[in-house]
Amino acid sequence: MIQSVICERLGIEYPVFQGGMAWIADASLAAAVSEGGGLGIISAMNAGPDYLKEQIRQVRERTGKPFGVNIMLMSPHADEVAKVVEEEKVPVVTTGAGLPSKYMKSWVAAGIQVVPVVPSTAIARMVERMGAAAVIAEGGESGGHVGELTTMCLVPQVADAVKIPVLAAGGIADGRGMAAALMLGAVGVQMGTRFLVADECTVHENYKQKILRAKDIDTFTTGKRLGHPVRSLKSPFSRAFFEKEYDSSVSNEELEKMGGGALRLAAVEGDEKNGCFMAGQIAAMVKKKQPAAEIIREVCQEAEILLKGAGKWVK
Amino acid sequence: MFEKIAKILAEYKGIDVSEVTMESSFADLGVDSLDAVELVMNLEDELGVTIEMNNQVQTVAELVKLVEESK
Repeated sequence: MIQSVICERLGIEYPVFQGGMAWIADASLAAAVSEGGGLGIISAMNAGPDYLKEQIRQVRERTGKPFGVNIMLMSPHADEVAKVVEEEKVPVVTTGAGLPSKYMKSWVAAGIQVVPVVPSTAIARMVERMGAAAVIAEGGESGGHVGELTTMCLVPQVADAVKIPVLAAGGIADGRGMAAALMLGAVGVQMGTRFLVADECTVHENYKQKILRAKDIDTFTTGKRLGHPVRSLKSPFSRAFFEKEYDSSVSNEELEKMGGGALRLAAVEGDEKNGCFMAGQIAAMVKKKQPAAEIIREVCQEAEILLKGAGKWVK
Repeated sequence: MFEKIAKILAEYKGIDVSEVTMESSFADLGVDSLDAVELVMNLEDELGVTIEMNNQVQTVAELVKLVEESK
């Protein structure tokens, strides 16, 4: 069985987090992942405090196991949802899209295990100083908002830079990825794209089908010009956005406006024309729908077999 | 405080300290948001302060103010 320090620290069975995907990671998916022994995570996304409270209530109704909330720091409601996680005594908070400095002291004092997603060693060191329980080193292979460094390069450097546990994210969807991440110095993994097709994931069926049909070259990043690149599946929307990005007559404001709401159209409406289907490069390796618990077990069992056999490389 | 920060910033970017002025913006100096975090970590180590970093800091003047408030 694959177990690590992060399991003991958070009270989970398997060192597997489910990514806090906006418009996708709701109570249904989070509860299924936590019930399956991993760490399910609700995305607070851009929604207000009432949405989050309701999602937390629903997770608690379905499982007594630990779960987390992902706070997107760029959200206009970040201050309010930051308070909700304290009031609700959410066991784990992950953060993305910015620096969590403003909230860290209060969260740590409230006994929350804070696990920020980090794109560089400096940010990992900074959040360690502020009391983070662990960090998620996320490489640019992942879906959604991405950093520049790849998982292969980022994870070992972050593992060297901090003493707290490191989880790897970006480009991991099976036991091979997990085994490799552990060899790079991680003590666990976070997966998004693989959980997107889980039976309990409520995302629109069209989104799932697009992931299941994706080939190796089907994702790319757009939005570099705006300073926050996004990885998504190639689609009519993302191709049009990409073209506009290189059109100097289109202002940054117009570009931002064009991107707004496109993820919701994909996740909720399944709009293949106007939606932005965020996905990691690993989408091509995600081939079947399964219950979340089965995904977790399968990935960990495969990693275990590989790691047990790794001695064959040493003569 | 400005002199100390200018020296650390110049060392970090490998530029001459005379290029750093109170008016310099991070963009002028080639300091992006990830650099800024690294820089703040260096400042914390060298000046023995704890700085609450935020994304609003865009210029040397704002950085000096932030460090002075952090003492």
